[in-house]
Amino acid sequence: MHKIWLIIKREYLTAVKNKGFVIGTVMVPLIGIIITLMIGFFARHQSDKALRIAIVDNAGEIGETTARGLGALDSNGKPMFAIEQLIEKPASPDDVQRTLRAKVNSGALDAYLVIPSDLDQSFELHSRNTGNFAIQATLGTALNQLLMATRLRALGVKADDIAQISRVARLQVIKVSESGESVERGQTIGVGIGLVILLYMSLLMYGVLTMRSVLEEKTTRTMEVLVSSVRPFELLAGKILGVAGVAFTQFFIWIASLGLLLTYGAVMGAAMGGLSLPSAHIPLSMVIWTAFFFFGGYFLYSSVFAAIGSACSSEQDAAQLQWLGMGPLIFTMCVYWVVLTNASSTSSIVLSEIPFFAPVLMPLRISIQTPPVWQMVLSVALLFGTILGAIWASGKVYRVGVLMYGKRPTVPEMVRWLRYS
Amino acid sequence: MDAISLENVTKAYEEVTAVDHVSLQVREGAVLGLLGPNGAGKTSTIRMIMNILVPDEGSIRVFGQPVSDATREAIGYLPEERGLYPRMKVLNVIVFLGALRGLPEDEAEKRAREWLDRLELHDWADKKVQELSKGMQQKVQFICAVLHKPKLMILDEPFSGLDPVNAATLESTMLELRSQGSTIVLSTHRMDQVEKMCDSICLINKGHNVLDGDLRSIKQSYGKNTVRIEFDGPDTFLTHAALESVKRFASGAEAKLKAGGDPQEILKGALAAGARIYRFELLEPSLNEIFIEKTAHA
Repeated sequence: MHKIWLIIKREYLTAVKNKGFVIGTVMVPLIGIIITLMIGFFARHQSDKALRIAIVDNAGEIGETTARGLGALDSNGKPMFAIEQLIEKPASPDDVQRTLRAKVNSGALDAYLVIPSDLDQSFELHSRNTGNFAIQATLGTALNQLLMATRLRALGVKADDIAQISRVARLQVIKVSESGESVERGQTIGVGIGLVILLYMSLLMYGVLTMRSVLEEKTTRTMEVLVSSVRPFELLAGKILGVAGVAFTQFFIWIASLGLLLTYGAVMGAAMGGLSLPSAHIPLSMVIWTAFFFFGGYFLYSSVFAAIGSACSSEQDAAQLQWLGMGPLIFTMCVYWVVLTNASSTSSIVLSEIPFFAPVLMPLRISIQTPPVWQMVLSVALLFGTILGAIWASGKVYRVGVLMYGKRPTVPEMVRWLRYS
Repeated sequence: MDAISLENVTKAYEEVTAVDHVSLQVREGAVLGLLGPNGAGKTSTIRMIMNILVPDEGSIRVFGQPVSDATREAIGYLPEERGLYPRMKVLNVIVFLGALRGLPEDEAEKRAREWLDRLELHDWADKKVQELSKGMQQKVQFICAVLHKPKLMILDEPFSGLDPVNAATLESTMLELRSQGSTIVLSTHRMDQVEKMCDSICLINKGHNVLDGDLRSIKQSYGKNTVRIEFDGPDTFLTHAALESVKRFASGAEAKLKAGGDPQEILKGALAAGARIYRFELLEPSLNEIFIEKTAHA
């Protein structure tokens, strides 16, 4: 035990005294915050430039109204559409469309809208970019309202009444949780995405840190001296625990500064006359569960990365083999929106129970909607079971790998190492 | 009691048998030269004595005990593949490795400073390892191997990369440790060093122990079968039928006699040919000769 302690101490002090630690401690949350804010910014401002649009009205009835109606729509105070042209009852609809198509292709126009001569037929929006769902939804709603108003007018309803009839329902979303209710203004998604990025980056960073630490001992041939004093398993355990200590220190700094920042914000807000930030309510239980899953994930991934480091003889080899560890992490980044959009769907439940994904996806589920306790407990149990297996396998690969130089082993070769006594 | 005793030790890797039924005894207090060409199985043998590798067959005892983590602690080990954490300070590395060997940290530091003084590295104690020259790193590595005052030391190529001055320092340090009762196993390619320092040798080739025993008696067993001549003038006499092989130097030649060959005949031949003789000596073969003969014919 004493030797493991010596190794933990060396590993911890070397990492914490390193400039990289300071940079990582500041940069990871900073990058997390920047990415979260950027996602929010782009989501909100994706339509800040008005869509330049032409309208072709084959019916010649509602073109004028449509142009006025669309021109009046705004998002965050900026007009959404700029009506460049209105063509009513064209003599040759095909020629007109050909001209407009050329304009769209040359970039002089973003889109053109074709109103059918029979209003029961489809309206057509022609555009190079057909992926802007927000604009399409807005346009659909606006056209519905215009059409309804036109039909009501035809039935003789007065203009004032039409305005009243067509007023849209407003929907406010309120998040219900054990600790009460709070108005949803996007903070759940913000916290969720922030959490995913933080966990993903930390797991990757500490995994790679463990791998490089093992690799350094191999490439500098310190390993041979070490294994003549300690058993490889002690070395592996000391290393993983030492880096865990580094992770713990970093988390402590983050949580402490977050606490300070929130307190400071609350005090300043009160001083400035009851101004309150859109506070993202983070319950303590969520912090504890997240810490549980993070450290579980850390032990899982760092034992995988340590095994990878021990099997390689150079940075180049490791760069190729490290995908074994990075693959599952990158996969979680590809599927986290499944959980974000519906945290209690079957896919979300299954994904968050799989040990390699649970460290990122389960805290995300918890942050959105607390899952049933049995699901969390099962996920933790599966995770820790897998950790035991991973440490066992990693210890085997490590034992053989640390003294093996030269050709990078293939994955089947590493599997064969598991059977060595 | 023997410091090290190997009985029929075998170690095979996937394609090769690195060590094939090797038996060997190292007397306590002796300096043993472990010799052999590259890839002969020396490092595998050492790793098994260090309990880093486990033999497939046979048994290894260190001071009478089967190898274990405890016997390993008693050994000072300077591996062939040397390495120290490049970004750690010299003193910290020595203390860390000393503590791993079971020394209390303050004691390790005290001894480390003594050794750094002795090997003239005291100004480098707080420098990072990567700032040191290769020879200095070598000396630091040596300190790491001897810090815990081991009764048995295994030194794999301790002189490689050292200049003559540092090599001499290390040599005298090793002889001093020996006079204090330490047993030393010296693995090296430098035969002159072995002739100077070792009491006994073990020559390993292709996983087999091809020759071991007391250095003096091994050399004597070959008898005085080598002639060294320094001369001026014609060298036609060197083709004499009693000579098995000849090595020609600028100032003379070294020649090996055939079994039963009479050195007097050679001398007569030289005089008859008209050579001017400065030196004529009958010798035991050098260790170098023995090494080449044993490994080339195997």
